[in-house]
Amino acid sequence: MSFLDLNHLEKSFGPTKVVQDFDMKVEKGEFISFLGPSGCGKTTVLRMVAGFETPTSGSVRIGGQDVTRLRPNQRQIGMVFQSYALFPNLTVADNVGFGLKVAGTPRAERAARVQEMLDLIGLPDLGSRYPWQLSGGQQQRVALARALAPRPRVLLLDEPLSALDAKIRVSLRNQIREIQRQLGITTIFVTHDQEEALSISDRVVVMHRGVADQIGAPHEVYNSPATPFVASFVGTLNRLTAEVLDPARGLVRIAGAEVDLQRPVAAGSIQLGTRPEGLQLSQSGIPATVTGVEFLGAVQRIRAEVEGQPIVIDRFNAPGAQIPQAGDLVRVAGAATSWLPLEDEKR
Amino acid sequence: MKRFWSWAAIIFGGLYFLLPLIGTIEFSLRMRRGEYTLDAYRSVLNDAAFRQTFSYSVIMALATIVLGVLIVVPTAYWVRLRLPRLRPVIEFITLLPLVIPAIVVVFGYIRLYNTSSILPLTGTASGTNLLLLFGYATLALPYMYRAVDTGLSTLDVRSLTEAAQSLGAGWVRIIGRLILPNVLGAVMSGAFLSFAIVIGEFTMAALLNRPAFGPYMQLLGANRAYEPAALAVIAFAVTWGCMGIMQLISRLFGVRRTAK
Repeated sequence: MSFLDLNHLEKSFGPTKVVQDFDMKVEKGEFISFLGPSGCGKTTVLRMVAGFETPTSGSVRIGGQDVTRLRPNQRQIGMVFQSYALFPNLTVADNVGFGLKVAGTPRAERAARVQEMLDLIGLPDLGSRYPWQLSGGQQQRVALARALAPRPRVLLLDEPLSALDAKIRVSLRNQIREIQRQLGITTIFVTHDQEEALSISDRVVVMHRGVADQIGAPHEVYNSPATPFVASFVGTLNRLTAEVLDPARGLVRIAGAEVDLQRPVAAGSIQLGTRPEGLQLSQSGIPATVTGVEFLGAVQRIRAEVEGQPIVIDRFNAPGAQIPQAGDLVRVAGAATSWLPLEDEKR
Repeated sequence: MKRFWSWAAIIFGGLYFLLPLIGTIEFSLRMRRGEYTLDAYRSVLNDAAFRQTFSYSVIMALATIVLGVLIVVPTAYWVRLRLPRLRPVIEFITLLPLVIPAIVVVFGYIRLYNTSSILPLTGTASGTNLLLLFGYATLALPYMYRAVDTGLSTLDVRSLTEAAQSLGAGWVRIIGRLILPNVLGAVMSGAFLSFAIVIGEFTMAALLNRPAFGPYMQLLGANRAYEPAALAVIAFAVTWGCMGIMQLISRLFGVRRTAK
């Protein structure tokens, strides 16, 4: 039986349905990311788990116990906020020990646990400082220690890295994942940054307009997106219009060049998507005009146009390889599996 | 030329504020003909009625502050947390004491709580004290609410509350241990303004016939010559003392308030 059970959660604010039929089972120790644009309902689901919002219908179970009607302070859940939300009148040690104090833990035991937590986040000597004396990254680590100190059953992270600068963001996300693995704590991480979600999660939930479009491992979500929204939101996606020549065999024509998809498609005119790394420059294939090249070190990013539709082609840097110039005419091709037929955006 | 006018403005303002003060001080020292003495001050400070009324008002002021904090801090907190749309309404309500004269309020009290009403508060001294306390708390409301609300605006009230809740804390602990300490500087400045108002309040105390400092000042002013001037200077010094303490405390707590 799963540890955290989100059972057909729905939430409406007045006539607006913010979350629709959100159903998911999370195993103990799993690291789950909720990924989606702002307003997609990911934070609302998180807040329903935390108890700050009551579901309109559905239930939340933790370790088999129905907590749907429990107040937030009865749920034993650790939460980390985007704004850190450290208590400004308390020292770092008192912040970390706050939950233990509320629970009535004896002083000596509390002090030991606080020190253990400060060691865990790598700030063993900052216990007597006040939050405003710390950098943003340090404050967020203290917030993490504070959330973990009372040994919560579930850890919820609400865009914890969004207020930090890029370099700290990457190192802190790895540290969060490291600590999470070490403690084996079931974790939900809310983010709008797909790179963050893909890099540290066991499973990713891609949300769009209140619905979980896809739940899957990072590579599944990236390689086999379940909906056009997932395809375009996770990673970069090239979109090209194709004219279908043979629906049964999957033969289409893009900008005059024939492409064999090797699977049946709808008749007429369809949209195809590809990842930048799924396309190569080749001798034959779809004609494109290079509009610019970005040299990113390991990767060359070639921007081009196919009949006015912009595309991006990523390829590894190779010493001696010829770099195309803007204005060059090239031909691009991709393997049959790299093409994803996209339905028109209906929702 | 610009400098000249700014100096002129400062000098004019200075004279406007200082001359009456200097005049009062000078007059208060002239109880004996031909020499300066502190006789008037001695006379005031030796007056048992002065000590009684002053301590009565100090106690009332402290009680007002406590009552004000108990009413205003949870209210302002709750409005910010859960009813942000009601903020203009609450703000307007707290401003009413500035628009409705104290005499109207106190007449309302007397009508509502007289001895033939269902809640005859004016029937006993302690009941009347309670009524006066409520009146004072009302008068202090605009200053108290504004100060506390400004203090709360420097906090991320919602996140702090949710963080505390997720750590298991209940409302009493959240307000008492987290919200109040973080707005203490603001509460203090509101408290000292309330203190100054209560010490000098006349209308309510006089009409409810309580032995407060305001009516005493009035009584002395009607019957003596030099003592009222001395009393004015003493009251002035006390008020300034309060302001000084207020400054000091807000500076002490201001250091911590730089935290986000």
